[in-house]
Amino acid sequence: MSDAAIHRKPLFGRTRRRMTARFAVAVLILIIFLFPVYWLFITSLKSAAEIFARPPVWYPAEFNLRTFAVLFKDGDVWAIYNSLIIASVSTVVAMVLGTAAAYSLARFKTGGQNLAIWIISQRMIPPIVIVFPVFLMFVWFGWIDSYVGLILLYIAFNLPYVIWMMRGYIEDIPIEVEESALTDGCSRWQALRKIVFPMARTGIFATAVFTFIFAWNEFVFAMILTRTEVLTFPVLVTHYYGAQSTFWAKIAALSVLGTLPVFFAVATLQRFLVRGISMGAVKG
Amino acid sequence: MTATTMRVGQRANLFADRNFKWLVIAPSIIVLLVVGIYPLVYTGIVSFQQITMMEEDTSWAGFMNYAALFSDGRLWESFGHTFLILAIALPIELVLGLLMAQLFLEKLPGKQVFIALLIIPTVISPIVAGSTWRLMFDNQYGPVNQIIGWFAGEPTAILWITRPEWVYPAILICEVWQWTPFMFLILLAALSNVDRSLIEAAEIDGASFWKIFFRITLPVIRPVMVIAILIRALDLFRIFDIIWAMTKGGPGSITETISIYTYIRAFKEFETSYAGAIAFLVIILLSVIVIFALKRVEIAR
Amino acid sequence: MAGLRLRGVHKFYGKVHAVRGIDLEIPDQGFTVLVGPSGCGKSTLLRMIAGLEVVDEGTVEVDGAVVNDMRPKDRDVAMVFQNYALYPHMSVFENIAFGLRMRKVPNAETRERVHRAAEMLGIPELLERMPRQLSGGQRQHVAMGRALVRDAKMYLFDEPLSNLDAQLRDEMRTEIKRLHQELRTTMIYVTHDQVEAMTLADRIVLLRDGVIEQEGDPLELYERPTNRFVAGFLGSPAMNFVPARIEAENGGLGVRLPDQTVLALPEGRRSAYADQVGKTILIGMRPEHMHRDREGEQRDGFGRISVTVEIVEPMGANTLINFHLGETSILARLDAYAAEQPGQKLDLLVDMNRAVLIDPESQRVI
Repeated sequence: MSDAAIHRKPLFGRTRRRMTARFAVAVLILIIFLFPVYWLFITSLKSAAEIFARPPVWYPAEFNLRTFAVLFKDGDVWAIYNSLIIASVSTVVAMVLGTAAAYSLARFKTGGQNLAIWIISQRMIPPIVIVFPVFLMFVWFGWIDSYVGLILLYIAFNLPYVIWMMRGYIEDIPIEVEESALTDGCSRWQALRKIVFPMARTGIFATAVFTFIFAWNEFVFAMILTRTEVLTFPVLVTHYYGAQSTFWAKIAALSVLGTLPVFFAVATLQRFLVRGISMGAVKG
Repeated sequence: MTATTMRVGQRANLFADRNFKWLVIAPSIIVLLVVGIYPLVYTGIVSFQQITMMEEDTSWAGFMNYAALFSDGRLWESFGHTFLILAIALPIELVLGLLMAQLFLEKLPGKQVFIALLIIPTVISPIVAGSTWRLMFDNQYGPVNQIIGWFAGEPTAILWITRPEWVYPAILICEVWQWTPFMFLILLAALSNVDRSLIEAAEIDGASFWKIFFRITLPVIRPVMVIAILIRALDLFRIFDIIWAMTKGGPGSITETISIYTYIRAFKEFETSYAGAIAFLVIILLSVIVIFALKRVEIAR
Repeated sequence: MAGLRLRGVHKFYGKVHAVRGIDLEIPDQGFTVLVGPSGCGKSTLLRMIAGLEVVDEGTVEVDGAVVNDMRPKDRDVAMVFQNYALYPHMSVFENIAFGLRMRKVPNAETRERVHRAAEMLGIPELLERMPRQLSGGQRQHVAMGRALVRDAKMYLFDEPLSNLDAQLRDEMRTEIKRLHQELRTTMIYVTHDQVEAMTLADRIVLLRDGVIEQEGDPLELYERPTNRFVAGFLGSPAMNFVPARIEAENGGLGVRLPDQTVLALPEGRRSAYADQVGKTILIGMRPEHMHRDREGEQRDGFGRISVTVEIVEPMGANTLINFHLGETSILARLDAYAAEQPGQKLDLLVDMNRAVLIDPESQRVI
């Protein structure tokens, strides 16, 4: 083994100098990828003069929370609140429905491979393709610009993802554990509640966080199906692009408000990140 | 101890158990049928009618709308724009992601922190991503022109968003920036899962780094790579948000993708039936790819 | 206490007919081992007894009552699984106590019974640990404890030792036997390992392809197999089968081997084969039923064969030697005290009272 290690000459090697070089490259890459995020953050903290300064200001003289104050005063933060309500409620419902369905697929192979594939294929349809009939349906029901409309749509939109991911997490639990609970005196529901759900709790949590992020970030449905009352934050961001003038400060500030929750969500997910974004293809 | 006293209703319980699997999956299937199948059927029907903003003409139009698709230059351009973005962005994301994954594959101080920070672009809202880069690319107040100016030695004022020759690079940079970390994370996980002994065996056999990479590593991670590519290809096929935030399809219609064009026809020009025909064309194109793709994903599980 | 009876039990998985009409009575308080090669339906049978699989046809009866539709929780069985199926989010104590808690046993009694079970298995110091902190053997003990703590009607074991290394497996086998002798409850044990089956069982049920090949107490199956499969499955190393022919010889009957040696059948067995002269058969000889012929004497009921040793495998307690009779490779287990060499000529005595004669057509012992 150690012989092989000595002869090994990889692209990015193992010696101390190589390690330093790799570290430097890694830092450079990180700077490139995070610089736009940094720019967004400092833009939200700049004064009006600093935003429209030439050359651009890389570091504001003071952290100016004026724009955030304006967002609160004008009630624009309402969009964040809307996003929060819509994403949370739709996530909870999608998780309940989806986990039940996933259990059925994982444990009984309900409908065989084709049902599973049909379910996830629903996820692949571009929103723009289905949004018009949905729009008309919502007009009939009076759901345009309402919580209930967008929540229902997001439940449906995220359901395939929840089912697909939870099926994988449940399949990871050996069926014998559940059977053991059954012989130990559990009903099927007790076995779920006392054994399956506790064992799948990290998977449930990770899936819920991703579902929340998807709903939180969604734009096309929200733009078309809302007007003024339940605008979500990405829609409101685009409203700041005016025909004559663009409200950079507000764009940046609202974007920051809309990005912070995602930061925290991702920070909690480390171990499940890969599995979540690869739709279960990589178990990480 | 009470086996002889079998309780009444146990047959009913087992019946419930036997139907349990359909009982718990039914609500989801109903929801997906309503939101998945109904719009498709509706779109299909509408596309054979003549509904526009002016009149709700539900008379049968046959394949009129579909015939019109063929002479709609703007539609085929939007297909072209979509595939242009897909064909350039996807390979760049893949190669960059793979290189970054190689860089982070071995021990590195603070590796987990790097990874956690690098993934940020991928998880933020595409609208925020597009807006951020619009800030960055602003010809007067954005840092991109300033940085180019440092290297060029003179002030530059490239009109990234409004000039046809610059708008695609701007969109592609944003797209690549947002999704390269996605490729990176998945490929890093795939590379980490490659059995070390395979590589060590090849090293003992005297294979060079590149030989090992192309003959062993790449074939082993291929299934995962294919899935990552498929996920991204399907996302790119329906790309809307980033471009909407950056250009709204402009200048002119030069950055209109299929999704944006469909949106404009349906919701700006209210040509319902015609938009329906476009949507149906997209569905047909997609279902072929999607079914193929999903079989792969299902097999890979 | 419970008597278990299966009548005409069938199980289908899609088109696969996994269990094909099993009739079986399992005695109360006995240790019954279901044994057979993988895919023979033994686990499926056990799972149907536990209520984890639907019985497609036939009945499962406990104490005379049909329990086909009874849910596992109401059957009052305890089961040990191959992969142990410990609840990873519960401590060892909670794992063992789980079945009692589900049955609403008072706390104090639960605590007492868990500790007693842990003592019995020698794991009282593990009670506060989590399953992931345990070694394979310790997990197995916990799985056993989880079953034993229950005062169940039946204890079911689904290959509980197959994930252990050889030494631990031997220890646990003894342990399980001891537990059964102490508890005297009905135990049904599934394994593919014929050594486990022989050593543990009061009663072996040997299955193949979803049907029972033979059942009975272990020595009965070992000494008087009814067909070639049973003869070959039990015993390690396995029985040797050599093509041969029944011939009349010096007024008696004999079996002519491929090397033209004739082994005389002992007096007591001759009459059974009197009408089979000239028939082609297989003769089955267990390795341990061949001995060195030291003195060249003629012992009654033994036949002599002369062989050339090919491979010698000293096992310590005894020595395996390998040689050919015609085309067939044969293994014999000899006492260890003289070291044979490859190439050495050797005379062996075959115990003809214990050799089995098999009809190659029907594969049945004749």
